[in-house]
Amino acid sequence: MHHNIFDVTIVGAGISGSFLAKELCEAGLSVLLLEAGKNFNRHNYPKKEIDANSQLYWGGGIELNTTADIGILRPKVVGGGSVVNQALLDKFDDVALDSWRNKSKIDWFGRDSMDPWYEKALSEVHVEEIPVEFRNGNADIFIKGFEANGFKCAPLKRAQKNCAYEKGSDCIECLSGCIRDSKQSMGVTVLPIALKSGLALISEFEAEAIEKVSGLIRVHGTDKYGDKRIFRSKRLVLAAGAIGNSILLLKSKFTNPNIGKGFYTHPQFMSLGLYDKEIHSEKGPFQAMKSDDPDFRVRSFKLENVFGPPVAIGMLLPGIASRHLSYMKKITQMACVEVAIRDQNPGTISLSRSGKLKIVKTLDERDQTTFNNGLSAIHDIFNSTGVREIVDGNFKIGLHLMGGLAIGKESNSSVVSENFNLHEDEHIFAADSSIFPDAPGINPSLTIMALAKKASLSIKESLK
Amino acid sequence: MISKYFGHLQNRGLNKLGDVIIPGEGIFPSFSSTGFSSHVDRMLDYMYDDDREGLTLLMTVFAFMPSFVIRWIVLLSEKNAAFPDVIGAPLRMIQLGLKGLILTLYYSNIDDPQKTGMKIMEGIKWQTGVAPLEGDSKRVERTSKTTSWKNPDSNQITNVFDRSRTAEREISLMTVSQRLKYVTALKKLILDEKEMIVDKIQMDTGKGRSDALFSEIFGILDHLTFLEKEACKALKDESIKTPIALMGKKSKIFYESLGTILVISPWNYPFYQAIVPITVSFVTGNATVYKPSEFTPLEGLVEDLLFRAGFKEDWVQIVYGDGKTGAGLIEQRPDKIFFTGSVATGKKIMAKASEQLIPVELELGGKDPLIIFEDANLERAAAGALWGSLTNTGQSCTSVERIYVQETIYDEFKKILVEKAKTIKQEIDKDGDADIGSMTTDSQVAIVKDHLDDALKKNATLLTGNHWDGKSRVIPPLVFENINSDMNICTEETFGPILPLYKFIDEQDAINMANDSDFGLSASVWTADKSRAIRVTRKIKTGNVSVNNVMLTEGNPYLPFGGVKNSGIGRYKGVHGLHSFCNMKSVLIDGNSGKIEANWFPYTKRKYELFSGMTEGLFGGGIMNFIKFLIYGLKLESYSDKVGKKGRV
Repeated sequence: MHHNIFDVTIVGAGISGSFLAKELCEAGLSVLLLEAGKNFNRHNYPKKEIDANSQLYWGGGIELNTTADIGILRPKVVGGGSVVNQALLDKFDDVALDSWRNKSKIDWFGRDSMDPWYEKALSEVHVEEIPVEFRNGNADIFIKGFEANGFKCAPLKRAQKNCAYEKGSDCIECLSGCIRDSKQSMGVTVLPIALKSGLALISEFEAEAIEKVSGLIRVHGTDKYGDKRIFRSKRLVLAAGAIGNSILLLKSKFTNPNIGKGFYTHPQFMSLGLYDKEIHSEKGPFQAMKSDDPDFRVRSFKLENVFGPPVAIGMLLPGIASRHLSYMKKITQMACVEVAIRDQNPGTISLSRSGKLKIVKTLDERDQTTFNNGLSAIHDIFNSTGVREIVDGNFKIGLHLMGGLAIGKESNSSVVSENFNLHEDEHIFAADSSIFPDAPGINPSLTIMALAKKASLSIKESLK
Repeated sequence: MISKYFGHLQNRGLNKLGDVIIPGEGIFPSFSSTGFSSHVDRMLDYMYDDDREGLTLLMTVFAFMPSFVIRWIVLLSEKNAAFPDVIGAPLRMIQLGLKGLILTLYYSNIDDPQKTGMKIMEGIKWQTGVAPLEGDSKRVERTSKTTSWKNPDSNQITNVFDRSRTAEREISLMTVSQRLKYVTALKKLILDEKEMIVDKIQMDTGKGRSDALFSEIFGILDHLTFLEKEACKALKDESIKTPIALMGKKSKIFYESLGTILVISPWNYPFYQAIVPITVSFVTGNATVYKPSEFTPLEGLVEDLLFRAGFKEDWVQIVYGDGKTGAGLIEQRPDKIFFTGSVATGKKIMAKASEQLIPVELELGGKDPLIIFEDANLERAAAGALWGSLTNTGQSCTSVERIYVQETIYDEFKKILVEKAKTIKQEIDKDGDADIGSMTTDSQVAIVKDHLDDALKKNATLLTGNHWDGKSRVIPPLVFENINSDMNICTEETFGPILPLYKFIDEQDAINMANDSDFGLSASVWTADKSRAIRVTRKIKTGNVSVNNVMLTEGNPYLPFGGVKNSGIGRYKGVHGLHSFCNMKSVLIDGNSGKIEANWFPYTKRKYELFSGMTEGLFGGGIMNFIKFLIYGLKLESYSDKVGKKGRV
């Protein structure tokens, strides 16, 4: 492997990297896929929360912004977000795509020209709605609360298959990887095809710097044993996400001042409603419904019914000792709704003087208002369904990590061109969530898949 | 379990903090009483260095801080929202760090022997699961955190070695003293659990409790102590002499790991033969794939102990299965095979290993002689012969199976021996109050019966044990005389409680008879004459000799162990044994000078003459030749450098 010069090296085996690996390998290119996380399969996913948090995310579970009020969950595993997420797939609407077209000046950001790519992406995964009969008590409260308040909601579309709810499967277990291979994560969809077509996959390799020497790109990094390694290729694809891509370029002294700017996270906030009866939010498909309300969309937030495993819920609850325990004892009597906002105030990813990751991300007044609106909608839902007590979570989390390498026609306001290569270097590409010009307010997974499909054309073209 | 980052102090701080957050209430135990603080590396291993160092410092401070102050800090951190970011942000970090640490350990449903993790989950009524995939029930289930496999198929065997290849890197990156931490933990655990272990050994083997305690538990603890004391010294880089012709250079030996060692063990000492090779392999930096005998798998025991001693899951993998499984494991090309067992199986393993040139170490059977001279203390010699023949019911590779007695004392010795043999207490006891237990396998019982019948048919005399029915695993001591070399009992390994007596005339006769065997594992010589003892010891073709004692070389973990002839290949135990699990890497270090060496090109007539002169000087001997060596050597050096740089002229 060290003797080879690959056609393409991809840094990051998340959704974008895995989709691109498949496309490029199937085109007969030699492709090396590098991933900092481990390569688990359904037999060895870390199932205990202590191990799952430690082994599936950067920083041993969580990273923080400078004000420590947003916990950033950044997957670090072969398959990336597709292993640890809830596999929600949605196409972007006019609101999101029009905004991108205006910002980027790229005219193919529109529903008509994106739709074929969405369809191509959907052909790789199996998508279904949670069957009505398996919705749990938390979903019921969500639906009843929406009805009572005149809000509109809809079932979630999830990339999953054969979950065996009738046999008592609880999806919450799959937050650390699905032991049935029901969740359509990369390891059960596109990656096996890529591997069959000759993909070289190296996990537990952390890329640290890239450089270009005599027309070839070198990726420097450290393998799982702490040994330094260098890989050479003709093209490079950055698929390490908003944070990974930004810091890799910054560490490699790329100079475009827009790198790391425009960072969005759809900040989320979970609110718990304590009821007198058993809700069992943890049972069955713990996430089944979303808001589908035009007014919410205009006001830039969405709601979903959701839950977390005991440590996660424990962290959201206030107090210590008996106060803490009094809540934990009632964990199965809790309903939970989260608000995620379409954040407007961009954050910044940078390196501190000592070379450490620094994330500045705050909510401005506008975002805060959005937030409060979402929260009050949640309170309305709980209050109209007989809640005894509402406990708002302790902190916000950021799961949709977007931006940092914004796509755009103009190199003075963006990092990546409409052909997906860096303005600075025509041989280095990116198509993942890092190129998002702003926060769409919609789950990004499907769009990342679609963009990867589209970007593969440009990469293949550049190698002709 | 061992933390790489937290010492006693930090652990105390962690538990104090834990009890502030979870002081315990009703069915919920206090944090410190769960013992979960010992699992903290499952988090610390994956944190950023800064975060881990911050927490370590904080825990150190907490160790000295009164609990009410810790409580105040935690409560203050809960109120972070009331402060501007300059104070709020650090308070949030503290809140997240401290609560995160404790709640993660407390609510992760950690597997522990007391099932505390599970009880906490029950306390909060948390019960989730995923229906297994159709067909998954046939999947190999791990019995504990140390990986074990039952009759794996070929895909699973490949998986075993994939895991091992990763594990071997992890282990090789640890220092010897880091590895010894786990050995020490294992030693303590074996000491604490010795009665449970003896139960388990007895269940699988049917041996007496005292046999299990003396030969297995004590032997292991002694061996582990040896590792603790000697492994660091034995495995550190060794400086080696560099001859004068290579002046200015340095020579060293690095003792490095080989990779993955396949250990295949027999059923006679199932626990000892598991722990000793596994720990030698581990301490020398190797991953281990261990296959116990299918007759005495001690199922679940070794993996449980290793797990509890903190061994990570794939450092040692245990594979249960028969010979077919063993063959599958060899096909994966382990870096070395360490086999203890029969000659027949040893030959098969070596043949299989030869296909891929895998180094083998074979500890095979024996037909060990015990030689008693007329000046020996007969009472002691008889007691020794009895123990050497009967310990573990004769199922030891170094069991005494030929007793040579000088003719002058033969009758007297025979009388003592037969009397003693009749007093042997035999049962599968519960309290250690029995000398020997039963045989372990029916197939071995059949061999003993076969040897007995063959001997009696050929006119041997049986002096004790006539009451044995030829079927029961409880075989009594069988003392024979009138044995000759036509009988299987004289030439083949019996592996049972037999004491065949032979008469010899003099020293040379004893040596000839002792050496008239295909085996050469160990021997013992009994005499008051020390110089005769050493003479005989030198002349016996064998791997180990005890003088005026029996089976005792194994009793000293500093001595290497192994046989000659059909008894095996290689040595293990002692410092030599540690080295035999190593890649002994020879290293020669020269300076980064610009010099061109004399033995490099170009070769010229002039160089030939100078080299010839230097060679004569170096090896000729005497002071004049030494001076010649120096003169020619210096000339050669400067000429070689010149001609090397400027080329042939």
